[in-house]
Amino acid sequence: MGTINSAFSLMSQALDADQAALNIVANNVANASTTGYTEETPNWQENQPVEIDGVSYGTGATETGATSVRDKVLEQRLDQQQQLASASSARLTALDSVQALFTPDSGSSSSTAGDIGSDLTSFFSSFSSLEANPTDNSDRQAVLSSAKTLVGDISNAADSLNSQRSALDQEAAGVTSQVNSLTNAIAQLNLQIQSTSPNSDAGTLEDQRQQDLSQLSKLVGINQITTENNGLEITTTSGQLLVADGSSSQLTTGTVDGMTHFFVGTTDITSKLASGGGELGGYLTARDQDIPDVLNSLDQLAYSVSTSVNALNNTGTDLDGVTGTVADPLYIFNEPAAVAGSASAMSVVMTDPNQIAAAGTGDGTGDNSNASAMANLASQAIVNGQTPTDYYSNLVSTLGSTVSQVQTENTAQNASVTQLQTQNDALSSVNLNDEASSMTTLERSYQAASQVFTMLNTIMASALNLGDQTAVS
Amino acid sequence: MEEPGERRAHPELKKLVAEASRALARLDADRLEELALSCQALNRDLAPGQRRDSAELARQAREAQGDMAVFARVLEATRANLHVMSRLRELRAGRLEYGEGQARGWTRTESGHGDN
Repeated sequence: MGTINSAFSLMSQALDADQAALNIVANNVANASTTGYTEETPNWQENQPVEIDGVSYGTGATETGATSVRDKVLEQRLDQQQQLASASSARLTALDSVQALFTPDSGSSSSTAGDIGSDLTSFFSSFSSLEANPTDNSDRQAVLSSAKTLVGDISNAADSLNSQRSALDQEAAGVTSQVNSLTNAIAQLNLQIQSTSPNSDAGTLEDQRQQDLSQLSKLVGINQITTENNGLEITTTSGQLLVADGSSSQLTTGTVDGMTHFFVGTTDITSKLASGGGELGGYLTARDQDIPDVLNSLDQLAYSVSTSVNALNNTGTDLDGVTGTVADPLYIFNEPAAVAGSASAMSVVMTDPNQIAAAGTGDGTGDNSNASAMANLASQAIVNGQTPTDYYSNLVSTLGSTVSQVQTENTAQNASVTQLQTQNDALSSVNLNDEASSMTTLERSYQAASQVFTMLNTIMASALNLGDQTAVS
Repeated sequence: MEEPGERRAHPELKKLVAEASRALARLDADRLEELALSCQALNRDLAPGQRRDSAELARQAREAQGDMAVFARVLEATRANLHVMSRLRELRAGRLEYGEGQARGWTRTESGHGDN
């Protein structure tokens, strides 16, 4: 009887185990389209054998739970690449808006920031026209008119850049609450995971934590450190602690020089977050580096043009025979006190065209030597060692090259994320064959791409040399 | 059939490079191997004695330089991903060999009795 009871018990256990395993499979099927769900596989444990009359009888297996098919190394790599891709995407979006500002709008009848290059040419050309007719009122009006167009476009560009900077500041500040909400949630999940599954995969709880980590990686650059009992510590990429097992540190904000700064405790981590990745890193890089660089260049252009033109006009004689003095200067533009803020504050202060000092001092009002000198400023290195138009061209081409570089990074990072997602999906797939096949595909793709790259490199080098030869002959 | 002296119609270099980046991003090994064959053919056409349209090729090469930089970065990222995956595979193989039992749910234990 004992043996029959044992047999029934064994069969019963086997049925229970199969049922539990079927439940896990059913759960996998039910959650097949659930975002972030990781497939689970049943764990089996051998039951202790029973000894009857010195003979050992097996008692089957018991299903002891489920293990998620996940790999933390791959998930962390995916999170890291996601941080980089999110940062470059956010930065690229901001840079595209900046670049659009400096792109001439051929369909627009009014002058815009994109016309600054042609505005500079028109402004200095207007002095050449005045040089030919130094007493002509319409030529004098044309100088002031072209000065106003130039000033309008430069100051509008500066105002638009400042608006874009403010908008990025708001976007960056808005990320804070999302980051805090996610770090809170992760800390709570840490507590649950540590109490329920300290030594094994916590299934759906870990799925939730991984989902939150992926979201957090899109927002901010982080490092993950696994701690005891399946816990997790999260720091920013520069090392500030955001989550330590069951507790989280809040990211707070404050205003410094009119811009939002970010703190953990009392430490200002703004510059570290800028280089750390995630959307926040992208927003801050555009806000604190890219836009200020363009604004500084525009300020320098406005400052140099204003001060150089004013200085010359103040040394000449106007149509009424007046020469400017320190106390009563003859300025066309408002005289900037410093480079910073010059673009935004640039304006035309001269209202009477007769005050344009076309004549040299002591040469009579019909003279044109000072108008000639002002026209020649166009070809002189008055802006940081460059002519005004060359300086502006360099500003635009430097911006274009930054956009192109960030675009390149973004494309590569998104490609890397796509590859890792493909690998991650294969890892969570049904069987090991799929996984091996996925790895083979990765290897084959890399090898074929390396071949393509090497050959293209050779082809391009040869083609460029051929082009040179053709050009020479 | 290609007539003697007639050149094959090759895709623009820029398109070729961009397509290689896209194929690598989605790990399309078949497409990449096709592109490798295209590149071989193009390379043959650049051999001494076959050089025609050199100015046109030089123009294409200049235009493709930006896309080539993208391709280089994608290739670099792929190499890093491959490295991560290879280490992962080694790690798993080690776990399986030494039976830690946590990798991929390979926790099913064999009965020594053969009756379960």
